[in-house]
Amino acid sequence: MILFVLKRVALTGLMLFGLVCITFTVSNVAPSDPAALAAGPDATRDMVETIRREYGLDRPLPEQFVRYLGGLLQGDLGRSIVTTRPVTQDLARYFPATLELVLLSMTLGVLVGVPMGMVSAVLKNRAPDHATRFVAVSLVALPAFWFGILLQLLFSVQLEWLPTSGRLEVATPPPPPLTGMLLFDSLASGQWATFGDALSHAVLPALVLSFPCLASILRVNRAEMIEVLGSDYVTAARAHGISRLRVVCVLALRNAMLPTLAIIGLRWGWMLGSTVLVETVFDWPGIGLYAVSSAIAGDFKPVMGVTLLIGLNFMIANLIVDILYGVLDPRLRTAP
Amino acid sequence: MTHFTIGRRSAIAAGVGAAGLLAADPARAFERDGNRKIMVFAGGQPVPVLDPHVRYDWSTRMIQQSVYDALAKYVNDPPQIVPWLAERWETNADQTVWTFHLVGNAKFHNGDPLDAEAVRYSFERGLRLNKGVAWMLKDVLAPEAIQALDVRTVRFTLTRPMPSFLTFIPLWFIVNPKQVQANVANNDWGEAWLTTNAAGSGPFRLRRFEPQSIIHLDAVADYWKGWPQGEQRRLSGFIYRIVREPAARRALLQRGEADMITEIPADDFEQLKTARGIRPADHRGMTTFAITMNTTKGPTADINVRKAIAHAFDYDALIQIHNGAATLMTSPFPEAIPGHVQVPGMPRRDLDRARQFLAQSRFASGGFELEYVHVQGLEDPRRIGLTLLNSLQPLNIRVNIVAQPWPTMVSRGSRAETAPDMVSVYVTPVSTDPDVIAGKYHTRAHGNFWGMHHLTDQQVNAWVDAARVETDEAKRNQLYADIQRRVVDLQPEVFGMLANRRWLMRDHVRGFAYCPLRLTGEIDVHPMWIDAA
Repeated sequence: MILFVLKRVALTGLMLFGLVCITFTVSNVAPSDPAALAAGPDATRDMVETIRREYGLDRPLPEQFVRYLGGLLQGDLGRSIVTTRPVTQDLARYFPATLELVLLSMTLGVLVGVPMGMVSAVLKNRAPDHATRFVAVSLVALPAFWFGILLQLLFSVQLEWLPTSGRLEVATPPPPPLTGMLLFDSLASGQWATFGDALSHAVLPALVLSFPCLASILRVNRAEMIEVLGSDYVTAARAHGISRLRVVCVLALRNAMLPTLAIIGLRWGWMLGSTVLVETVFDWPGIGLYAVSSAIAGDFKPVMGVTLLIGLNFMIANLIVDILYGVLDPRLRTAP
Repeated sequence: MTHFTIGRRSAIAAGVGAAGLLAADPARAFERDGNRKIMVFAGGQPVPVLDPHVRYDWSTRMIQQSVYDALAKYVNDPPQIVPWLAERWETNADQTVWTFHLVGNAKFHNGDPLDAEAVRYSFERGLRLNKGVAWMLKDVLAPEAIQALDVRTVRFTLTRPMPSFLTFIPLWFIVNPKQVQANVANNDWGEAWLTTNAAGSGPFRLRRFEPQSIIHLDAVADYWKGWPQGEQRRLSGFIYRIVREPAARRALLQRGEADMITEIPADDFEQLKTARGIRPADHRGMTTFAITMNTTKGPTADINVRKAIAHAFDYDALIQIHNGAATLMTSPFPEAIPGHVQVPGMPRRDLDRARQFLAQSRFASGGFELEYVHVQGLEDPRRIGLTLLNSLQPLNIRVNIVAQPWPTMVSRGSRAETAPDMVSVYVTPVSTDPDVIAGKYHTRAHGNFWGMHHLTDQQVNAWVDAARVETDEAKRNQLYADIQRRVVDLQPEVFGMLANRRWLMRDHVRGFAYCPLRLTGEIDVHPMWIDAA
């Protein structure tokens, strides 16, 4: 088992290096001059050069890459030319907001998607199954950008049930920072009003972000459950008098969860990437919004930082799924 | 000058926008702080750096103007420079020595007195950092040439006459040297600290700074300059809320979550301006829109092709695109800039003349394609591109409309070899000095986004250089009149329009005073208040 984990960790390291190479190359082939953009439209040439020197952009590209790698090894992702702060500081500021949103969306996706998949499988080809599949296809197909604005207009403007955007009412002071996740921090400090405020702000973006994930989980779980429910050991279990509820919810679900776990792992990384759109629509100050603002300004260190962070999360999620696979199915530990 | 940005327009929001009007009179109202009110303003542009000597754009300057003071301030329409930290000033005959006399009661937020040394330090800091505002004065002012003569008198000795010196003074904010020096790291002049902190003397102090989402300011109760609306009515605070999507900003205003919004699509403005509880502010702007043409390569290098394009373009469509809220340019200068003249023969749509010009060019029968580049995501320049496409069809000129990200467009335009044939450019002057506009057509402008025409004309260069140092106002204005006529004659651009500046506010918002010198969505918060129970 240890060898299995070590192999996967080594593979993750290699993939991360590949990601660094790709992001650095893509960032530097883009035809823009970040120093000139940061200096502002009125800046003289020597002002632009001042900024270029300050950020090491006057060095040859290979040297910049080596310096970037050296910094990475020490946890330094460089400095944003727009915010002038270290990218790690900016990420520490914005990542908790994204993490909060993704955790909430993922929880929604799993808590709703798995039971709906089970119900759909048990009631295969009956009306609830058809309805569930229709909903699943629709949720995958909905563009987050469009759907987010639609929900804002309905629930915020028309019905006035939920706030339009942001994480808290503007005049509400945030809870004492513990994790940076307002829901958790307000709970931890016993600020129930702030918790309610934060939750009401999180509902719409979390819903929009969760839908494609929910639909994927639902579809995979349904397919796996149908296959498992048709297998011999389930028939045998039923023949031994084990209740239908126990067979479906315990015996069948455990085996059907393997591919579902894989989807959850994949969706974790996907959701982090999708926050770019959702955070823009709902002005959720997370890494997605940070990446968009930076890309618009031609500020590539933050874009690279966000890409690496999302990539790392994606790889870690997959690593955990790989390990869980190994735990759930011992045959995989010895697989080549 | 700065780039004029507007929020991305959402087609979806436009489609369903009318439905939102039903909720135009919200149950919610302004934010409160005890008996006082907090005004919430929503715009699409973040404020990543607060340091007044490092960065400025409309949203940044709005916050800087609220937190800091300068020796003088721009107010009114047409813009005037009025004393602020300086109660008066004088200059010598050739305008190389400027002496400012400070008010006696100004103080920083921490109680430190604001004296001449603070002014000297702030200007030295701006020049040494060589960022942000430095370009305005660095060629004529050395840090050593700034002297604090006594506690209330500061003197600037310039290396050459600079009639425009005073027009830049309102843009140099004064920081508290003690606070800054206490936070210097690695000889950075406190830059890292001032990025997210403030050391000012302005009407508001910084309470919360979330660069991507919220900037919350508290009013300074005993502000040294006082409150024009009276102590009873003054705001308790001001919140700038960064909301990127126009549809979301609109929703905030309709719900009453925001008291005022900016960067509003033309159609939204028309729909909301008469809605219950909402009031518009619609003023002639100073931001010029032009289609800049590459004068060095391709068909647009031929002046007759450029003139043909300028005479074929449908100018009325520019106004229609803005629902009437725009004015056609009568000169390369905005009308509010001193020295503006109405240039005779400004091109207007005249297809016969356009064909005559084309016949005189090397491309008499057309038959070529031109690339028109605009900033990705901006709807108005895209629609203007479609107008251009239609306008040039009768000349047998095809137009390839290309949307590119702003950094890519600027990078391409910085070199004559890669600059597009035609590109949409908005330019907002940062001061009333005509040089900031005239300089667009000087060879020095090559490399900047407003110099994407890459025009080189020795006559224009000479006149711009001469006008810069001319202290006789009549002679200076004559030079600028000559420059305007010459530039129109050279036709490096299709001179377009001045779009109106527009805001929407709840009808309890009072004290809004328009000054065209503010950048795009910027407002002056100091005189504003909320008039409601």
